Amino acid sequence: MGDVAHNPTGGATVPPRLGRSLWSDALRRLLRDKAAVVCFVVIVIYALVAIVSPLVLSGWKDSYNYDNINAPPSHSHWLGTDVFGRSVLEKTLLGASTSMTVGFWSNILAVPLGMILGAVAGYYGGWLDDVIVWLYTTLASIPGIIRLIALKFAFMDHKLLAGTPLEMDLDGLAGLCLALAVTSWIGTCRLVRAEVMKVRELDYVLAARATGRRGFSILLRHVLPNVLHIGIITFSLGFVGAITSEVILSYLGLGVKEMPSWGQMIDAARMDLVVGRWWELAGAVGAMFFIVLAWNVFGDRLRDALDPRLKNV
Amino acid sequence: MPQAQDNLILTVEGLKTYFPVRGRRGRHVRAVDGVDLSVARGGTLGLVGESGSGKTTVGRTILRLLEPTAGRVVFDGRDVFSLSAGEMRALRRRMQIIFQDPMSSLNPRMTVGTIVAEPLAVHGLVPRNRRAGRVGELLERVGLAPAYARRYPHEFSGGQRQRIGIARALASQPDFIVCDEPVSALDVSIQAQILNLLADLQQELGLAYLFIAHNLAVVEHFADEVAVMYLGRIVERASRDALYARPMHPYTRALLHAVPVPDPARAVAHDRLPGEVPSPIDPPAGCPFHPRCPLTRQVADRLPQTKTITILSDGAPARVVQQCMCETPVLRPCRDDASHCHACVLQQRAEA
Repeated sequence: MGDVAHNPTGGATVPPRLGRSLWSDALRRLLRDKAAVVCFVVIVIYALVAIVSPLVLSGWKDSYNYDNINAPPSHSHWLGTDVFGRSVLEKTLLGASTSMTVGFWSNILAVPLGMILGAVAGYYGGWLDDVIVWLYTTLASIPGIIRLIALKFAFMDHKLLAGTPLEMDLDGLAGLCLALAVTSWIGTCRLVRAEVMKVRELDYVLAARATGRRGFSILLRHVLPNVLHIGIITFSLGFVGAITSEVILSYLGLGVKEMPSWGQMIDAARMDLVVGRWWELAGAVGAMFFIVLAWNVFGDRLRDALDPRLKNV
Repeated sequence: MPQAQDNLILTVEGLKTYFPVRGRRGRHVRAVDGVDLSVARGGTLGLVGESGSGKTTVGRTILRLLEPTAGRVVFDGRDVFSLSAGEMRALRRRMQIIFQDPMSSLNPRMTVGTIVAEPLAVHGLVPRNRRAGRVGELLERVGLAPAYARRYPHEFSGGQRQRIGIARALASQPDFIVCDEPVSALDVSIQAQILNLLADLQQELGLAYLFIAHNLAVVEHFADEVAVMYLGRIVERASRDALYARPMHPYTRALLHAVPVPDPARAVAHDRLPGEVPSPIDPPAGCPFHPRCPLTRQVADRLPQTKTITILSDGAPARVVQQCMCETPVLRPCRDDASHCHACVLQQRAEA
């Protein structure tokens, strides 16, 4: 890359342009990256399964078959059956719906919230910083799982947006997403705040001020693009974290009840493994394995694609 | 100052910039402690001093990138510190800055074209559809191919990146540019190229420069006038020729001695200054240079004990002239050259 000087691309024949934006550039690079495309396809498949499975398999919940309980994998039931004789494969597919919903919504709430608060705290400093740091330090002083449990209990019997068409029962999936979001923005906020405090002191931010850009516009154009990678990484890690949190909550009996989930399957399997019934655990863990891997790799590649310094690597 | 008032693009009077010290209430780092200077239209003032002398802070405070503690900056007849935020933003079109570190002064996630076009966009100078053409012109002007506009800063060498920084500074057609050690981070072979570019641009566009450097040799090449800073104050100010021919302040002399001479036959054993720059939180009393000053020691050796004070300098006792510790030096013109000012108490007394 050191010889750029002696190799101007095309010279004067190239029509004058200022270059593509960061995002269109990143998209082009992502599309050339096989691993990223594969992982994205995996994520899309999971998302489709999550959307379609509750519609197609709506009868699964009551498909009891007491003649065929705890059956090992076979041609008719590829992943065997559970304690009620229902298909574990179908249960796994339905679990994708719960997990993808939880992973997506908790992070779509938490990551932007953490980024905005962290950026504001780090960029403006002063009393805003004090208030935001106080807020997350207070929340962070409660251990994560206890905070989650407390929130879940607090949400019981409450409704969100009551009386509107969007009414949501906070005891169920919506409450879980909200509880996870309230818990997981803290990490993003802390990381983004620290990074913004670093970037804000760099000369190119000073140069933008010397140019006459307003403070908020500098935050949007110069500071945020340079801390965005943190948001991307925490989103992909948070997605995985949300799925595992749901597993733990289900294990504690505080997870989702109206739908099967991977957490419930792992919870159910905890006694099964001793007697050699491995298929329910395998279904849940296998399903998690691929989505976790896909998110991690995709997040990594997206971050790289958004960093022009790694362009041709 | 020799120039008439309306010939000056910038005058700075009594500029002070203090930074509060964390955890020590009421204590301040006196980065800039009463600086007066002026820059003529189309002229260059070199501002020289070692690290920590406050020269970068002067440049940034003039542009109001740092908040001043006291003083006045008049740019083209307008008091910079009394402008509203909006007026200040408008004025920024006319005063620009070039940074020392070409790595950190360019946003790594913006293309070169977007970086150079930023002043055009902020001040709405060129309609959007003609910006790319204007950026191409600017890049060509600083010696880069217009096609580079689509590349990212990391693809360029230090010298090229500095050219990009210069193109950005030129974009809004300023009258005055603060060059904050623009060549200090570059290879010596590249330094001359950048200095020549800056000189060409000055001639062509009538720019005025405040040229900050820690190296008197670089400034000699470049400046009409030179001001030497030590610990937040200007200790000597003169036209370039006068300063290099007849440095008055012992600190200026020490700086001139520090310029390496590329000839072993002419190499002279020069006295290194003892110690380091003192902390600007507790600057030494009187002349801030007295703990390191070779002149005050020479003079003290010839004076009776009663007129000297023994201090500890760099771990060893040293005798300095009492006046140097007790009198706050003032920048005064020499008797025979009104444009040549210095702040050495001993030299001023010798002249009187």
